[in-house]
Amino acid sequence: MRAVVYRGVGQVEVGDVADPQIEEPGDAIVRVSLTAICGSDLHLFHGKAPLEPGDTIGHEAIGVVERVGPGVTRFAAGDRVVVSFTVADGTCWFCRHGQSQLCEDYRYFGYGLFGGSLGGAQAELLRVPIADVNLLAVPEGLEDERALFVGDALTTGVYAAGLAEIQPGDTVAVVGAGPVGFFCAQAARLDAETVLAIDLDAARLAVAERDGSVPIDASARNAQTAVFERTGGRGADVVIEAVGTPAAFERSLDVVRRGGTVVVMGVYTSETIQAQIGVWWIRALQLRFAGTTPIHAWWDRTMAEVVAGRLDPTPIVSHRLSLEEAPKGYELFDTRQATKVLLKP
Amino acid sequence: MASFPSDEWLKLYRDLINGSQEYREASQDWEGDIAFVMEAEPDRGVPDDLVAWLDLWHGECRGARMITADEGERAAYGIRAPYSRWREVLEGRLEPVKAMVQGKLKLRGDLAEIVRHVRAAKELVNLTTRVPTDFLDAA
Repeated sequence: MRAVVYRGVGQVEVGDVADPQIEEPGDAIVRVSLTAICGSDLHLFHGKAPLEPGDTIGHEAIGVVERVGPGVTRFAAGDRVVVSFTVADGTCWFCRHGQSQLCEDYRYFGYGLFGGSLGGAQAELLRVPIADVNLLAVPEGLEDERALFVGDALTTGVYAAGLAEIQPGDTVAVVGAGPVGFFCAQAARLDAETVLAIDLDAARLAVAERDGSVPIDASARNAQTAVFERTGGRGADVVIEAVGTPAAFERSLDVVRRGGTVVVMGVYTSETIQAQIGVWWIRALQLRFAGTTPIHAWWDRTMAEVVAGRLDPTPIVSHRLSLEEAPKGYELFDTRQATKVLLKP
Repeated sequence: MASFPSDEWLKLYRDLINGSQEYREASQDWEGDIAFVMEAEPDRGVPDDLVAWLDLWHGECRGARMITADEGERAAYGIRAPYSRWREVLEGRLEPVKAMVQGKLKLRGDLAEIVRHVRAAKELVNLTTRVPTDFLDAA
């Protein structure tokens, strides 16, 4: 089959790799009809996680079940499905308590040895372990583009908004208007009165504004001043940090009101900051570190909102390319010429 | 009139500090320089971050000047806020120690030590009002 293959730092190509096979009774093989390049793929692209040359890449996929192992009971060949970007066992304590991102036996697609040596989703075929847990049926008539992100970034947005426990009348500030920030903002708008989208990138802010958020261009305005002006001098009730840098984290603390909630969705690894814990305590801040998204606990809700038309991920899609054009897609996304790139095998 | 912040403004301010008996008494045991970071507000005439520095030592201001951001990082204390917040402080509309506790002014350094010297901080703010000041922002 054809698949996107990591060749080294800053290098991907589309090559021929062996078709995946049923390896365990719970496996399904999915013929991918649409996949995408995620911001976390760029971490791999830049060598920030240990991929080996020749590893396949990608973790967002929607498609049709081609065949299943004998242990699969919920799906059969021909079913349209979206794939969870994390593979969970579905049986451990964490999975049973809605925290499948903390699964005792978690794995990731397209993360090489670190992710459990699963194949990448930017491919024609994908082996999905424990398919009964890690696949979700796609309702009839729902287009691939609208359902694809239920397996990753859109549900991440719904999870962020859920963690924030947004109340009617709340003002929510989302720091970062990239794809994850966009999805967080869209999900937050289901409950919030106002959603402020903060970013330095005019193109991303324009997309957020068209989708209903109030843009704050931090290159032209001081974000803290702007947020306080819009909230009677208090600060935002909820802040969702969707960047993953110490500067973005600090900015989130700057713009939240006393007693407010900061949900940290941005991905962190080894970053450090100097923290005034006493000030956080006096300010009664509610800090929620999200970790990766427990897709399995939230994707039914996300799918229902998509079907109802209250969530629509398509405005963030800027490029629709063939799988063979993946290297160009990586370049466009990496250089911020694209807000979100879809790849069609 | 001196533009805030500037070396000229800080020189006038330093002279006021060193002439204040109240400040000297309230800060007899204070040790540590402070970098005041005024964050850019491009839409208000402050295009870049500005950093003012005071070297405060046992009731005396030994030095006061504009410094770079890197130099500011080396100061014992750093206090950061948008420019317009600092204007609120200088105009007496925002009490700085309370603002630090509320997160309106962001402190790097020992908060307890600052709180212990709240009387000195109050006098420092009072003295700013006696410097004839031109603000950069239009508000």
